[in-house]
Amino acid sequence: MHHEFRFNNEVHEVTLERTPKIWTFANHCAHPKEDGRVRIYFEDGTKAWAHVAKVGDMWWVHHSGHIYTLERIEPGASADEQHGGLVAPMPGTVLEVLVSEGEPVEAGQTLMILEAMKMEHRVVASVDGTVTKVSFSAGDRVEQGASLLEVEDHQ
Amino acid sequence: MIRRVLVANRGEIACRILRACREAGLSSVAIYAQNDRTGMFRELADESVLLEGESITETYLNGTAIIQVAKDTGADAIHPGFGFLSERAEFAQAVIDAGLIWIGPSPQAIEQMGDKMSARQIMKQAGVPVIPGVEIEEEDEERALADIRQAALETGYPLLLKATAGGGGKGMRVVHAQEELESSARSARREAVTAFGDGRVYVEKLLQTSKHVEIQVLADTHGRCIHLGERECSVQRRHQKVFEEAPCASMNPSLREQMGQAAVSAAQAVDYVGAGTVEFLLAEDGSFYFLEMNTRIQVEHPVTEMVTGVDLVREQLRIAAGEPMSVGDLELRGHAIEVRLYAEDPSNNFLPAIGPLAVFRPPTGPGIRLDTGVREGDDVTPHYDPMLAKLIVWAPSRSEALQRMRRALDEFVVLGTTTNIGFLRALCDTKEVISGDTYTTMIDDVFPNGYEFNPTQEHLDIALMTAAVAETTGMHRLTVSSSSSKEGILSPFQTLNRRYP
Repeated sequence: MHHEFRFNNEVHEVTLERTPKIWTFANHCAHPKEDGRVRIYFEDGTKAWAHVAKVGDMWWVHHSGHIYTLERIEPGASADEQHGGLVAPMPGTVLEVLVSEGEPVEAGQTLMILEAMKMEHRVVASVDGTVTKVSFSAGDRVEQGASLLEVEDHQ
Repeated sequence: MIRRVLVANRGEIACRILRACREAGLSSVAIYAQNDRTGMFRELADESVLLEGESITETYLNGTAIIQVAKDTGADAIHPGFGFLSERAEFAQAVIDAGLIWIGPSPQAIEQMGDKMSARQIMKQAGVPVIPGVEIEEEDEERALADIRQAALETGYPLLLKATAGGGGKGMRVVHAQEELESSARSARREAVTAFGDGRVYVEKLLQTSKHVEIQVLADTHGRCIHLGERECSVQRRHQKVFEEAPCASMNPSLREQMGQAAVSAAQAVDYVGAGTVEFLLAEDGSFYFLEMNTRIQVEHPVTEMVTGVDLVREQLRIAAGEPMSVGDLELRGHAIEVRLYAEDPSNNFLPAIGPLAVFRPPTGPGIRLDTGVREGDDVTPHYDPMLAKLIVWAPSRSEALQRMRRALDEFVVLGTTTNIGFLRALCDTKEVISGDTYTTMIDDVFPNGYEFNPTQEHLDIALMTAAVAETTGMHRLTVSSSSSKEGILSPFQTLNRRYP
């Protein structure tokens, strides 16, 4: 079985081999259990447990004290690159908009100030460019994932 | 005499108090907002009452409605927990005026300590040392800014701007240089107005590499006022504590006695009743300065409970009922450490995260205590503070407590929501934490870019194999499709930064 996962912005390919009861990959073996855990057999003969759960397209794996979030890439799906806009990472309220459309901005410049979870956050330009779209004004509520502003790269 | 307690709070601390009520044989009433209807704390109360409304002003901050619920449900006392209404003197007074028992200090004591300026004055008079600084009384924005600029000339940089009515890091800014002063002052004032309805700030010298050490006090209405030793809470990010311990690694008995006596003097200066905490900055040379007094139970109270054997919440109930506290001679025993588990992303400025708790399996075993208000299957929402749980360990010595904390964090499995568990685990391996030489700006120095986990190829292979096997064999039983988690994890958002130091 072949799968692709995205981890830390890199795509990793996994091809599992199957023996009657066990799966292998990179010389390690895995045996899934009924309770959401997977028994791991290392190449050197040692064993461990991994916990696993899927939320949306994301597989969450806990192993050896660490948590990995592996986004499954559907076979045939085009790689969905992050679009150039600045997206609200959580619901909140726009406190201030510091730029307007058509305005040139420098990387690091504050574009907007948001209030979410009782804290202030600022939205900062990641590149030198021109503001091509401002979607909200002060006082507006924004939902998670809302596109706040768009900045066109000068390059 | 108290028979029935209304707990005017939610989440973890509501659970803690409701359990204490059950143990004390008192019946209990919870209040909850609509978005908390599945909250664990509701299940721990004998009765729970919905407060209608969308915002916390209509629910957990709605003193009038809460007092009405207390009357309607036959409660005779109100416990405010921490946060929300716990340090609002006018609410305490309204509770008393309604003929109910307020589980906390007098409204006068809350008011005197809640205003940082009057607290500083009272402490100076009581002979407790305070940090050199300037209080800005001016409320008008432009004139206040002028005063702040003047004060900055006196204190020098780096300096700290603090909301006079503040707490929890809100309305607080570190200013390193003059160029940052105006924008920091404006945003501190704005945040203070939003959070506390009071834009006044004060300017003080930032004492670097100092420790945050606080003393727990307990006072009853029979004239007894004692201290229960210290907690060290130096390890903070954005001025919020994440790692707390008792005792403080660099404490000695004579300094403890001095600080303890200063804390008791502070409490006595305002005729304090109940459980309270006097916070100090402890400088490298052993001098200490009053920071503020928290007139309520504190988040990190469990570490004191672990080393003293005193149940602080139970004592609060006893004292409020007019009984003497039941604390005998104190002897500090062993070492306790607490870490705060937050739903947040340490690799991205500790930005709060939301999502489902698809798997939530806390560690168990000797010396481990978990205070939480969530369980597996709950959703972490953006409505409230993102603290998920407090993990507390106790062991005979500090080094064993640290070993136990590492083991416990390794066992802690939370899947579906990004947490700071990996960061807390990395913290346990820093040389500052190992040696006990922790200081208040340590996280900024040791983790200037936050914490990001970079696995070895072998570990990543194991994770990839696990996910691939789970996908292939359809381990769908644990698959969660939650409205709040369309994208699973919050996508890392590089350009959104907190404006905190």
